[in-house]
Amino acid sequence: MKDQTTLNKTPLIAITGQPNTGKTTLFNQLSGKKFKTVNYPGSTVEYSISKILSKYAVNANILDSPGIISLLPVSPDEELSVQTLFKHPEHGTPDIIAVTVDASQLSRNLYLVRQLINSGFNVVVILTMLDLLHKKGFDISDKKLSEILKCDVVRVNSKTGEGIDNFLTSVNKSILQLSKLSENNSVTGHFPVSRENLLKSYTEIEQIEKDVIFNTGISETFKETDLDKINKELIVLNSPGSFQKPDEFTLKLDKFVLHKFWGLIIFFLTMLIMFTSVFYIAAPAMDLVNDAFSLWSENASDIVGDNWYGNLISQGIISGVGSVMVFLPQILILFLILSLLENSGFLARGAMIIDKPLSKIGLNGKSFVPMLSGFACAIPAMMATRTITNKKERMLTIFIIPLMSCSARLPVYALLIAFLIPKDDALTGGLILTLIYIFSIASSLVIAAVVNKFSKSFLNTNDNSSFILELPAYRKPKLTAAVTSMFSNAKQYVLKAGPVILYLSIILWVLTYLPNYDPVVNENGKSEDEIVMLKNSERIATSYASEIGYFIEPVMKPLGLDWRVGVALIATFAAREVFVSSLMVILKLLIQRKTIKVLF
Amino acid sequence: MKTAADMKIGEKARIEDIDNSHPSSHRLMEIGFTPGQEIEMLNKTLFNDPIAFSIRGSIIAIRKNEAASIII
Repeated sequence: MKDQTTLNKTPLIAITGQPNTGKTTLFNQLSGKKFKTVNYPGSTVEYSISKILSKYAVNANILDSPGIISLLPVSPDEELSVQTLFKHPEHGTPDIIAVTVDASQLSRNLYLVRQLINSGFNVVVILTMLDLLHKKGFDISDKKLSEILKCDVVRVNSKTGEGIDNFLTSVNKSILQLSKLSENNSVTGHFPVSRENLLKSYTEIEQIEKDVIFNTGISETFKETDLDKINKELIVLNSPGSFQKPDEFTLKLDKFVLHKFWGLIIFFLTMLIMFTSVFYIAAPAMDLVNDAFSLWSENASDIVGDNWYGNLISQGIISGVGSVMVFLPQILILFLILSLLENSGFLARGAMIIDKPLSKIGLNGKSFVPMLSGFACAIPAMMATRTITNKKERMLTIFIIPLMSCSARLPVYALLIAFLIPKDDALTGGLILTLIYIFSIASSLVIAAVVNKFSKSFLNTNDNSSFILELPAYRKPKLTAAVTSMFSNAKQYVLKAGPVILYLSIILWVLTYLPNYDPVVNENGKSEDEIVMLKNSERIATSYASEIGYFIEPVMKPLGLDWRVGVALIATFAAREVFVSSLMVILKLLIQRKTIKVLF
Repeated sequence: MKTAADMKIGEKARIEDIDNSHPSSHRLMEIGFTPGQEIEMLNKTLFNDPIAFSIRGSIIAIRKNEAASIII
């Protein structure tokens, strides 16, 4: 690494903490980057590293990492997080560890804090979720906590950014001390792991908790009137020691969401609404995109003229890209709903509800979220399986994720359905698409069950299957955060797929239009349309693509396909979403306003 | 011997001990299920598994067999 020396000089601050304590929100505030934060453990699948925004005037790098419960890891993602804390492969040992602590669940969070302090890290405690603690009618003395733990404690509202200044003041102070202390400060990694030490640690933490948490007597007055009402109810419920009670609203809502009968109904209804809205809400927007691109393509052809490069621009480039962009509305809606569900805290409940059925076929409730995001894109979904502790369950989940119908496959299905179903029969088309999705889920479950049956011979099944999951307090999902996450995901999709599709569209245009660009056909007694049609089919029948297609036809024949599908399939090796644009060019699908004509 | 898996919805109990022989016992204690703590059984999903408990101000869902290692 050529930046090694400069990076070593810049202090590294690692943000860590238990899942759902606001690590990523804080990271976003400090870095100014809009990474998505979700209310589900393990959402940080990749490490994000960034410089602290210049407006904060602190010269340091910050590292965001997946949430951990203890320094003794039980799953691959925890193991990776712990290893990175001790020694990041590129950036070394962090100079400062900023650990986020959910103040409303202090004792469980302090367990990790103490492990980190005992390991010799330079720790700064960031108290978050103070609003939840205030809602219960309690507050925390950060001064006392700081004295007891012998480290800096700051209160931060990671959503509004309130308190970040205090955090940075503390960081600056620590950085100054770092240069004085130099190498004296060493991280050992030795911390108590035995049962006795664990229990002793918790006994001490309970005493700390009693010392620092105090009853405010009256709950904070909130500006919002609905919160006022909740608070009035809560004052009545408050009794000494009730800060150890989970969020009241969450408890009430869970009576329905986790109900034996209603819970299941809510679960399936949510999934149903999610998938139907992806198809039905998106339809008008898709028509709009389609219209725009065909209009653009026509205009381009009119302006540039009816020659080979005019044709390249209108047919090769604009139509090629348009055929993929048309599915952007569906992708946007899918990501928006996924993000809203994650942020609200519903997905953790979904994982709990579906754990038992999934465990029957060798999966885990924690497979649920990766499987669901598999409908958006398979790669991040596979990475998200790292939260599954059991190796066999994790491998099996990874194994079936590609069977989930990912968003890139949508264009392919839509195209095939357009071929098979008359254009005016939109209902049948929608039904078939829904059936394809149901089939993809069913087939993945059947395959998981079959592999699970025979897996004992090739996978180590000795490790313990476990499901321990914190159900976070319900929070109103912030629409702005969801929209940001939706756009950044969609942008990723377009940026990754776009250039590939563009190049391949051009290459395919060359392959399908050349060398015989203007073929000679018998024009006697034929209308203009028919002449165009004949020329098109003659051109492609003598093109470079047809030669490749004919070459691989012996392989395609037994499948009932001919050289044209063969050419499209070759193009798909780059990305599966390319299939549509290539098949469109090859099959001479002329997109006219709202009507798709197939010209063979 | 009564365990957390035998509790009814809304029932409260104090943890007596955690069965050391269960592979998840260490993680259960780390997440807060330590002897002496009060737990409340909040919800059971279909098939009575997993089970959601209130512990130390959090809601934690664990499998029935894991709940059976929590002696009350």
